[in-house]
Amino acid sequence: MSKECVITKLQQIIYGLNLAAVCFVSGIMMYSMFKIVDTMYAGQFLRMIGRRPWQPELMMAVAVICYFSLVFFSCLGQTCDQREREIRNVILFLEVLFCIGSSVAMNMNYNGLVLLVVADMVRGQKGSRQKFVMGSAIIGLYTILDYNLMGIHFSMIPLDTFIFCFSTGIQAMIRGTVSIFRSLNLVLFILYLTMLIQGEYQERERIQNLNEQLEEANRKLKLYAEEAERNAETRERNRLAREIHDTLGHALTGIVAGVDACLMTIDISTEATKKQLEKIGDVARQGITDVRRSVRKLRPDALEKLELEDAITGMLENLAATSGVKVMFQNQVKPFQFHEDEEEVIYRVIQEATTNAVRHGHADKIWITITKENAWLTITVKDNGVGCGEMKEGFGLKHMKERLSLLNGTLEYNGEDGFLIVAGIPIRWGEEKG
Amino acid sequence: MKNGRKQTVWMIMIAAAVLAAAAYRCVWERNSGRILRFGMLAGSYWEVPTGNCYEVIDAAIQRFEAAHPGVQVEYTSGIRKEDYPEWLAEQIVMGTEPDVFMIPAGEFDTIASLGVLKKLDGLAEQDDGFQPEDYYQGAYESGKIRGIQYALPYESVPTLMFVNKTLLEREGISIPEDNWSWEEFLSVCRQVTKDTDGDGSIDQYGCYDYGWKEAANANGAVLFDEAGRTSYFGNSKVETAVRFVKELNAANEGYLVTAKEFDRGNVAFRPLAFSDYRTYKPYPWRIKKYSDFEWDCIRMPSGPDGGGRTELDTLLMGISSRSRQETLAWEFLKELCHSEETQVQLLEASQGMPVLRKAAESDALQDILGEDTPGSSNMDVTIIRQVMEEAAATPNFRLYQSAMDLADGEISRMLHGDVALDNGLLKLQREVNSLLRQ
Repeated sequence: MSKECVITKLQQIIYGLNLAAVCFVSGIMMYSMFKIVDTMYAGQFLRMIGRRPWQPELMMAVAVICYFSLVFFSCLGQTCDQREREIRNVILFLEVLFCIGSSVAMNMNYNGLVLLVVADMVRGQKGSRQKFVMGSAIIGLYTILDYNLMGIHFSMIPLDTFIFCFSTGIQAMIRGTVSIFRSLNLVLFILYLTMLIQGEYQERERIQNLNEQLEEANRKLKLYAEEAERNAETRERNRLAREIHDTLGHALTGIVAGVDACLMTIDISTEATKKQLEKIGDVARQGITDVRRSVRKLRPDALEKLELEDAITGMLENLAATSGVKVMFQNQVKPFQFHEDEEEVIYRVIQEATTNAVRHGHADKIWITITKENAWLTITVKDNGVGCGEMKEGFGLKHMKERLSLLNGTLEYNGEDGFLIVAGIPIRWGEEKG
Repeated sequence: MKNGRKQTVWMIMIAAAVLAAAAYRCVWERNSGRILRFGMLAGSYWEVPTGNCYEVIDAAIQRFEAAHPGVQVEYTSGIRKEDYPEWLAEQIVMGTEPDVFMIPAGEFDTIASLGVLKKLDGLAEQDDGFQPEDYYQGAYESGKIRGIQYALPYESVPTLMFVNKTLLEREGISIPEDNWSWEEFLSVCRQVTKDTDGDGSIDQYGCYDYGWKEAANANGAVLFDEAGRTSYFGNSKVETAVRFVKELNAANEGYLVTAKEFDRGNVAFRPLAFSDYRTYKPYPWRIKKYSDFEWDCIRMPSGPDGGGRTELDTLLMGISSRSRQETLAWEFLKELCHSEETQVQLLEASQGMPVLRKAAESDALQDILGEDTPGSSNMDVTIIRQVMEEAAATPNFRLYQSAMDLADGEISRMLHGDVALDNGLLKLQREVNSLLRQ
């Protein structure tokens, strides 16, 4: 049988035992009142208790109904979501109320129900809080519901007064039975709490174990990612080497061979040499075309396939979708078409700046504006992230600067309130294509 | 989402349960609201022979039911006075005490402190037709415990002084005036105490059963404070009263007068409850008791510091604090204790005095008392009215009887000369006070 199962069983036994105790105590009280009336001790009984007792049937009914309500809410409290604090507190409050109701109906002659409520209170708490709650709950509820402490103050009627009309032997038996109920209840409660706390301890251990496993997996994943990056780099290098070898190497080899041939033929036949040089020129041109093609292959996919504006929008949408950041993109420059190298720089600057905003600035809003003044195109990227007190030129900014300087552009930045990047590019408008 | 729906279901179920309980209570109340239960004892509260003890109550119930259509008043008949306290206690234990009930003698404080009785001050204040001044003050005060009105008086019995007219006539002494004093009382007692047949022992006495309690009251002494926490036995009025009783006893020249001597007509005076007067004065009971001589009742003689005041024994009725029909119960209680008709009828069918001034001042009183004593009576209705006006409520706190028993024992020792009077009373006061503070 699993531990969970044992705890549930134990709890059912506690519920059953308390039901028996409640029925016994309130039943004895009800029965003694009938007996008191039958044996004409009513006057003496009233003088002894000094107050009007509850109606006997009402007393038993309230005790039992309150007990059932207590069990009902106790079960409800266990089925309900542990995270819903407020509902749990309401249920606990009702439990305390019914516990007090049942105990008062029994004239505080049985206070075992306190332990039931305390068990429920303890179950919801963890750690040192658990100890605190348990301690204060036990002290508080016991104080309220212990006959010797408060019963006299609330003019509760002790069990001994109820059973005074029985013979001494029966009185002793009744007292003994109640006392057995009390002790048994206490023993079961302690057993239950021990198992509950033990179960929690094991649960904690299991979670710790799982955590360790997760960390290990994480570490492996990181290593794997690094390796994959290295592999990609190597693959890219190989591709570049192959590309250079295939295009530039091929053309240069041809050119070198052609020039060598020209050196041989220039003195013999100028005409043949001329022809040869033309061929070399063709090869060189072919080489340039090939190099261009190769370089194009290295450009971002998006720019290759789409117009610049669409590519930027797509990239930003991707970013928004993956990181949850809100991006406001405003472009005031129409038409938005430039030379390839310029487009790439614009694309890269925006990509780098937004990536920085998310990665380092932890921003959740980014504003991007692109404006034009004379020949200067200005890109402003602003975010609401943590910014940066003292600027350190990291790899990203350095890279951006390098790219911009190739086009004689400028870069300014400020990290005091969020992060602000202003990039200026002198556009070669005259040479605009189309 | 699923959780939320579950909670809603629970909430609805709980609300439904509460509503069902409320509806059940409503229906139950309506069904039981038609019946008002009344608790009463059979026979006479004053322990005198009586005819139909239900006559007045039945008539009052009839009037009440006529005035409140659909309401039915029920009572259990045949509970004797000695069984009544236990019967009521049983009802209280079972939670079935009647809505309106008679309060057993001597149990008023006990019952009130159990919380069984409803406080009547609020109900009385709201009721424009009800004034505490309608009652004789002593009777009304009887229903109070520690300043709170828990019960209304139903009927009262003052104490009068029985006079053996035949004996006084034989001795040539006229019947004392109504405002007679202790000196007159003592001198008459001394005059009549003698040996009439010449056998050497005294066989005619002054008075029987006039004790320190009667004397203390007649001398205006107050023995306890209202809450029953302090006693005033050391008061000079009490001392005067005890000294007077001592002198009175001395007048009997050491003979202990018995009830038998009194019944034979050999005693001139005896304090007598009004209920006894009412019972034994008229036919048929007059031939049963005190038939060998002519007799009548006058006021108690007054002491030097007081005006012949007596204590009033009062039958009280209260409302159960658990009664679900407060207004109806109050109306019914008023029908019994505050209705002139019921109170006048009491004069005819019962042996006590009405507690309502209006009823006592009606001509009916004169007619009835005249009927009771054809010819010979000189009982003036103004006397009995005056006695009622002046009478004080008998203290009703729980330990009253124990305190009085203790005092009785101590004072009888003083009267026998075993203990010095002045010191003895102060010591008694201390003892009673410590008893009361238990």
